[in-house]
Amino acid sequence: MFKKKAKKREKIDIVFNIIVIFFAILSLFPLYWLVTSSFKNSADVVKMPPDWFPKTFTWSNYADVFSNQPAFTWAYNSLVVALVSTFALIIVSALAAYAFSKLKFKGKNILFIIFISSLMIPKEVMIVPLFRIIQDFGMVNTLSGMIFPNVATAFGVFLLKGFFDTIPDSLREAAKIDGASEFKIFYKIMLPLAKPGIGALFILNFVQVWNDYLWQLVVGQSKDSKTLMVGIATLMQDLNPNFAYKMAGATVAAIPMLLIFIFFQKYFTKGITLGSDK
Amino acid sequence: MKIIKESNKENLTGYLFVAPQILLFLIFLVYPIIEGIRLSLFQINYQDEVFVGLDNYRKLFSDPVFIQSTINTVIFVVFIVALTVVFAMFVSAAVFDKNAKYVSFIRGAYYIPVMVSMVVMSMIWSFLLNPANGLIPFVARELEVVSVNFLGDTRLVLPVIIFVTFATNVGQAIILYIASMIGVPKELFEAAEVDGASRMKVIFKIIIPMVKPTTLYIIIMNIIAVLKIFVVIQLLTGGGPNNASTTLMYYLYNNAFKYNQLGIASAVGVIMFLITLVLSIPQLRAMFKKD
Repeated sequence: MFKKKAKKREKIDIVFNIIVIFFAILSLFPLYWLVTSSFKNSADVVKMPPDWFPKTFTWSNYADVFSNQPAFTWAYNSLVVALVSTFALIIVSALAAYAFSKLKFKGKNILFIIFISSLMIPKEVMIVPLFRIIQDFGMVNTLSGMIFPNVATAFGVFLLKGFFDTIPDSLREAAKIDGASEFKIFYKIMLPLAKPGIGALFILNFVQVWNDYLWQLVVGQSKDSKTLMVGIATLMQDLNPNFAYKMAGATVAAIPMLLIFIFFQKYFTKGITLGSDK
Repeated sequence: MKIIKESNKENLTGYLFVAPQILLFLIFLVYPIIEGIRLSLFQINYQDEVFVGLDNYRKLFSDPVFIQSTINTVIFVVFIVALTVVFAMFVSAAVFDKNAKYVSFIRGAYYIPVMVSMVVMSMIWSFLLNPANGLIPFVARELEVVSVNFLGDTRLVLPVIIFVTFATNVGQAIILYIASMIGVPKELFEAAEVDGASRMKVIFKIIIPMVKPTTLYIIIMNIIAVLKIFVVIQLLTGGGPNNASTTLMYYLYNNAFKYNQLGIASAVGVIMFLITLVLSIPQLRAMFKKD
């Protein structure tokens, strides 16, 4: 009797899963095409019918990307913008999230509601006034200009408050009786306990800033102040007709994120889901 | 007396902890919103600002490119969000109760395009779709499909962009759905099994109703994400052919940074801001109900 049931359940299940696997492979195909194309020479890359596996193998497209374009500078800019934005966001939002979760102060609830209400508003819709502020601060073409608006998001507060909420208040009260200052409690007790949340926030935000485009495009106008995503995208308008060269550029931009994903998949799943069920 | 002092001290500590966040929030979020509304009422020429009331808005609604941008954005939102929800639901319902390695492979395969970003994916698709030497037009010619200029044809350009955007971003929804489905109480499935319910019945009667909050979240997040769709337009079509694929964000960007029409661009920003505000109300309500 059990066997029969199991069989009946599997039939449609198998069909569904075959479809799912088929599309999963299809979904990876563009990336396969990207990486293999980047190693082809300029003639092979546009040959039709194509070589499904590259027959020749060349690094020259990568050499061209790094010699024709300030790609190292772009990568460095991206790294600084993503790292500094993320560190600053963690510090600022951990402080605020802790206060919203554990401290009592007047206007706390209304402030929190205002913060959370801003969660869904993309900074892109305010790009004109934001750009004028950056202009007034003299931050056009600077990394600081790209960083500041990233730190102003309420996302970190929202995510970390959930973590602080799970830490029992008794810990804080015990430390208080021992005479610890509020900041010491935050720094020595609460922050270490919220580590998984901070880890998830770090990865999520780092990737988001690394992959951000429009704001970095607007702020980094000079060639040397561009970030990797913006710089690599300019290759598409490059007069160089060699597609392999453009694909090599795109691969360079993609690899850091692929590595992060492979090593930190656990954190992603955790971080992304946190947003939805809080 | 002492109690009042204590509570004042607590207040002060609380404010000190939130102060950095509030400061940033005021400068880079609240002020830009107010300033954006103000700018939308002015005609701006470098340092010169002339108050024009609602003229910018009036101009917008009489500009066919703006109308086209709005229509396209709505089309993108409707189709991309619908495709994303249905497909992500399908994939997740098929895999969520399988072994962990398999789930993690499926999740990874669909999520990697999200990871490598819309910029990189748009560059790949632009190469794949290139009419002269792209793979897809080649295959289309082999299969004797008539049109191979997918991005140059006004009737094909929207479906192509819908597909590319959907295929790049659906992984996010899949991760959310899988997590949510794994969280559905096991007893429900066991009860269904005792009743001899079919897999389809389990999906429609248990899974879909149980993940409804996730569906709401995915719909709203995706609407807002698609509303500001920009990268794929800039890199694949440049809004063409003949403005057939232009969007609100692309229109805003061009007015602000190409045509130097800051008043007009601000007005578009205000309209988009209001749309996101209205759209986020159901999600906010759901969040506060929980607290």
